[in-house]
Amino acid sequence: MERSKSVVNRRQTAAWLKRIRLLLHYGDRPWNVLTIGMAVLVILLMLSIGILLWVDSGQARSILGLGFLKPTSNASWNPVSGNFQAWPFIYGTLATSLVSLILAVPISLGVAVFLAELCPEWLRLPLGWLFELLAAIPSVVYGLWGIFVFLPGVVEPVGSFLSSTLGSVPGLSLFFHGPIPGSGASLLAASLVLSIMITPTIAAIARDVFLAVPVTQREASLALGATRWETIWKVLIPYGLSGILGAVILGLGRALGETMAVTMVVGNSTGGSLSLMRPGYTMSSIIANEFAEAVTVLHSQALIEIGLILFIMTLVLNILARLLVWRVGRGMPKEARA
Amino acid sequence: MNKKTNSMMVVMLVAALILSACGTAANASSSTSVSSISSQINGAGSTFALPVYSDWTYTYQSVNPSVTLNYQGIGSGGGKKGIIDNTLDFAGSDAVLSAEEYAAGKDLQMYPTLAGAVVPIYNIEGVSQILVLDGVVLAGIYNATITKWNDPAIAALNPGVSLPDASITAVHRSDGSGTTEIFTNALSAFSADWKANVGASTSVEWPVDKAGTGIGGKGNQGVAAAVQNTPDSIGYVELSYAIANNITFADMINKAGNKVTASADTLASAMNDFAGSFTDQLTNTIVDGPGATSWPIAGYTYLILHTSSMTDCTKAKNLLDFFKWALTDPTAAKHAADLGYSVLPDAVRTQVLAKMGEVTCNGTTVLSNP
Repeated sequence: MERSKSVVNRRQTAAWLKRIRLLLHYGDRPWNVLTIGMAVLVILLMLSIGILLWVDSGQARSILGLGFLKPTSNASWNPVSGNFQAWPFIYGTLATSLVSLILAVPISLGVAVFLAELCPEWLRLPLGWLFELLAAIPSVVYGLWGIFVFLPGVVEPVGSFLSSTLGSVPGLSLFFHGPIPGSGASLLAASLVLSIMITPTIAAIARDVFLAVPVTQREASLALGATRWETIWKVLIPYGLSGILGAVILGLGRALGETMAVTMVVGNSTGGSLSLMRPGYTMSSIIANEFAEAVTVLHSQALIEIGLILFIMTLVLNILARLLVWRVGRGMPKEARA
Repeated sequence: MNKKTNSMMVVMLVAALILSACGTAANASSSTSVSSISSQINGAGSTFALPVYSDWTYTYQSVNPSVTLNYQGIGSGGGKKGIIDNTLDFAGSDAVLSAEEYAAGKDLQMYPTLAGAVVPIYNIEGVSQILVLDGVVLAGIYNATITKWNDPAIAALNPGVSLPDASITAVHRSDGSGTTEIFTNALSAFSADWKANVGASTSVEWPVDKAGTGIGGKGNQGVAAAVQNTPDSIGYVELSYAIANNITFADMINKAGNKVTASADTLASAMNDFAGSFTDQLTNTIVDGPGATSWPIAGYTYLILHTSSMTDCTKAKNLLDFFKWALTDPTAAKHAADLGYSVLPDAVRTQVLAKMGEVTCNGTTVLSNP
């Protein structure tokens, strides 16, 4: 009796093991289903966010209409009378992101070229780490440092200089007229802090792109008699162009959505001045600032509508950038495409 | 049916199952947590009241250890939404409920629990004395009609102080807040012009922003930092914040024409001025009070409860017992005063407790002797 029982047990175990082995062997199917499911979930999530923003801003959209988006020099944002126009925030977001990109892209490319090509071997790793560390600093820390060190120490003098020189040039004066507030809080301050924040992001990816350029390409260029500078300018950068564009897009994405640091240094004024030297506002900042204590329905819906605009703006910019990368990438060897 | 569409169908099915499972799981867990841990009382709302409510809920642990209260500072708007949707047991709010919100929440009642003061802070080059302001001047500064520190109206209030010929930068809160609501309420009382053109709310359209001389700072600390970093600026913060951070604040000339300093006493005087004029909803503004020692920039923060639709009577009793303790216990009052707030004076407290006594649970009164 005893013996037969143990035999049965052993048989059962063997059967189980076989079943598990079979399951693992034919695991491709469940695994496929699982991964496709995850991908579908992401799309569903994206759609549900968009739909939620659309539905929850319904009342504001019908009451405020297209005037909400109209560019105007005298925009109103009045929670008491229920008069809302989003132009100062749209302008603030676009202006700060654009200026920060203009400042950050050349610097990041310089850093990337140095790290990938010119830097002595022993310095490459520690310097790379330091740079990646910059990207890991929480944005609220950037904001605090901005308020107490960077704004009074750097932005305010630079802003005063710019407004006293460019501020009186016809045409440019619209964007550079002063005076910059004594605290330094302005669109310029937000742009500068943003450019510092996105530089490591762009530089790190651009460096990887340069490192991925095959050595044969460099050697071929040098063998043809090109100088180092010519190799970088005529081989490395064109070869990695689509990857570099991808890096810039990531930087732009961070600049568009950055909230905390910008809110702390942008001055948060709905005055709607076009000048970079004046306090301004961004879309993410107004949402962060006013959503918690928005007491009327129209006020909170207007804020949700701003969220919707930001959502659409990011989406459109990303699609455009993707198209750009794709166009640039078409003329490239396959392994250079991002 | 080919293989690809087949697997897509499976995927859709799986996704749908996951989603529906999430939905039911969430519902189930929330309903069980409510019934099994009835002593856990959840409130949320006003960040203005957060320091005191946190202190009170913590201190109450030693009074009645079986009751756990939890208060989150999510903002008055969120608090009001939570109590209307029945996701909270009580809400804190600095703003009063609108007619539609009363209708949506069916049986809501507001009770003032605390008053707080807002104080003007400033940074003027070369001035170390304590500045004296009055309502008209303060409204003028934020209205951008008084733009220089050596304006005759300011100089007249501060004899012997050498005020510079410098432009005033006016700092305000950039985030919506009860502090701004109190401050703009006061400015509306001080100036008919302000009341007509700007009004009072948790965030307003600042005339100084339009004039280009305004800056927004996030939170009390943001305003304080902006004032500290901007020469010749003025701002406003909660008294509690100014006390905790040793920030010098201006004195005000009140309606009676006396110079007053913000404190728990001058705040209590302001509450007493208006003790007889509560609305049926037990709400009131207490700005610009006529009393001899009343601080003019003050406001209530409110508790919001459902008065007849609470079904868990143990919980309802625990909740009301807690607030009765908070309103009457000397320790609670002392903790509030230390934080720069003031609890209700007798004349107001009796009215609030009487209203709390009207709360019923399943038809029976909750507080036996309010």
